[in-house]
Amino acid sequence: MDAAIGIRVNDGVIVATSRACTRSITILKPDDDKTRILNEHNILAYTGTSGDTTQFADYIQGNMQLYSMREGVDLNSKGIASYIRHELATSLRSRSPYQVNILLAGLDKGDAPFLSNIDYMGTRVDLPYAAHGYAAFYVMSLFDRHYRPDMTLKDGMKLLKMCKAELDERFPVVFKGFQVKVVDKEGIHSSELE
Amino acid sequence: MSQDPSTYNGGSAVAMVGKDCVAIASDLRLGQQSLGLSNDFEKIFHYGHVFLGLTGLATDVMSVHEDLRKKTNLYKMKEQREIEPKSFANLISSSLYKRRFGPWFVGPIVAGLNSHSGKPFICGFDYIGCIDFAKDFIVAGTASEQLFGMCESLYEPNLEPEDLFETISQALLNAVDRDALSGWGAVVYVITKDKVVKRFLKTRQD
Amino acid sequence: MAGLTFDNYKRNQYLVNQAGFKPPKATSTGTTIVGCRFKNGVVIAADTRATTGPIVADKNCEKLHQIAPKIWCAGAGTAADTEMVTQLISSNLELHSLYMNREPRVVSAMQMLKQHLFRYQGYVGAYLIVAGVDPTGPHLFSVQAHGSTDVGYYMSLGSGSLAAIAVLERDWREEMTKKEAMDLCATAIQAGIFNDLGSGSNVDMCVMETGKDAQLYRNYLTPNVREQKQRNYKFARGTTAVLKKDVFDLVDVVREDEVPVGPSDAMETD
Repeated sequence: MDAAIGIRVNDGVIVATSRACTRSITILKPDDDKTRILNEHNILAYTGTSGDTTQFADYIQGNMQLYSMREGVDLNSKGIASYIRHELATSLRSRSPYQVNILLAGLDKGDAPFLSNIDYMGTRVDLPYAAHGYAAFYVMSLFDRHYRPDMTLKDGMKLLKMCKAELDERFPVVFKGFQVKVVDKEGIHSSELE
Repeated sequence: MSQDPSTYNGGSAVAMVGKDCVAIASDLRLGQQSLGLSNDFEKIFHYGHVFLGLTGLATDVMSVHEDLRKKTNLYKMKEQREIEPKSFANLISSSLYKRRFGPWFVGPIVAGLNSHSGKPFICGFDYIGCIDFAKDFIVAGTASEQLFGMCESLYEPNLEPEDLFETISQALLNAVDRDALSGWGAVVYVITKDKVVKRFLKTRQD
Repeated sequence: MAGLTFDNYKRNQYLVNQAGFKPPKATSTGTTIVGCRFKNGVVIAADTRATTGPIVADKNCEKLHQIAPKIWCAGAGTAADTEMVTQLISSNLELHSLYMNREPRVVSAMQMLKQHLFRYQGYVGAYLIVAGVDPTGPHLFSVQAHGSTDVGYYMSLGSGSLAAIAVLERDWREEMTKKEAMDLCATAIQAGIFNDLGSGSNVDMCVMETGKDAQLYRNYLTPNVREQKQRNYKFARGTTAVLKKDVFDLVDVVREDEVPVGPSDAMETD
């Protein structure tokens, strides 16, 4: 029941993940962070089966840090997306595949805003806005209606607020609000929705 | 939640033979069941002058494309020439049959002109690599039944490139409009001896 | 088979059993195939319909496969399996005959096929009629997917085999001539074409006679020719709305010259 939302705007990318960490009918944790910082300009947000999610995210994070140390440069967003897709597509053929859905947000080569949606099977699409989980059914229509290609981070946050309002109104599951992170030219910051 | 991998993401493709030309087209939708995710997911790829339409499970569409890109690049390095349509068809066939007991869930179609004779070539495959050599048209994807109907009635042999474009476009457009999992834009390639024209079509968005 | 990988097997088991996916359908040659021996040779025949479930995938496919120049086989069952198993045995038999420095024998082809198919326990779904002539004379065999084989003077296989065998049982006689055998096979296939839903379209035939080259009659009979269209659905150019158009020029025009055409100028032919 967890959610991950991503919005790519002119000057950066916003990712929001649900704060609740749920098992069965119990909320175990109200301030969960479903993101990992991969390098200076790239964040990974994830949803899926707990255990698989953190294991996989840590694995990707570790390898990206290793890459940066070995090569002396960060892998760009497209490269990371391609790598993650490959890992998931390969994992799907193993005895116990990772059940993890990914949003990759970053500035490709520290410049072009980039958002990629990768599901547990390894289906990758690069999109202006994306969402995982049941929340997608609610917020995608909002995005279709209100998203503009020339939006700024400020406009993006406004749009994210609309998403939260809609989910609070219509979505029957408590998800304890969103944890928001932003990538822009300066790097990665945490942000607050009010 | 009973589902079929070949209808999970949706999408369709079609190829036709004309007079000294071929055309290949696909829709642009990518979804997860009823939820549409992307309207720019092109399912037509090319390896040198040979064109490939890949429908089916999207992750496998990507994996098969990457695999074929690798194989055709190695072919090019060894042979010092681009792969021809018929060789490419046999490459796909053996690649898919190699995975006879653990298949990729894809429905490929091939279109191209032989670079020496200029002879048009199209063919299709089932997901384990059985080749369907057709003289007229080949269909694939979730709207394949509708495409069969459209092509069977609209198609005629020896169309000029401009007329072939209209015929394949209308066949695709009207087929995907009767399929909930296909549509959301379309792309058409018309391939002739000296140029390839790629057109994005105006389509319904529902 | 050498080189078959099972990489995706576990993934697909997972997809089918855990994720609730349904396995897809392969093209099958829902098929009528027959074979019949005559005085000095053997003839095999097949229909030309390929199906995916209830959909006719190919109206004029080829179900007669060459194993060696004078050994041919007709295939029923899973289309990809009949095609690939036939190609594999064909190349192995060629290597074998080169090594032995002898013409390939029909029994060798049959033995290689049955051993391969038995190894795959019926999962390679090829049902074949193998026929040909070799230095020991004409032969006619059938091979089942599980690896069993039969020898016969006449036989039929595939979903239309019941319709075909009825004709064969009724009309077959000992010591038939080539013409009689060809007619019999054609009639048997037509019984399948018209009475079995899995079979249709045309009759393909192959005649192998001792001392002669094998003769393939592609579309020996075409009893289901499509009616000439009464009207055409050609759309006026510009009907389809185009959002964006990209042109990829495959040839660079470096220079464009006007070439005067007249009787005085000889054509350049280099």
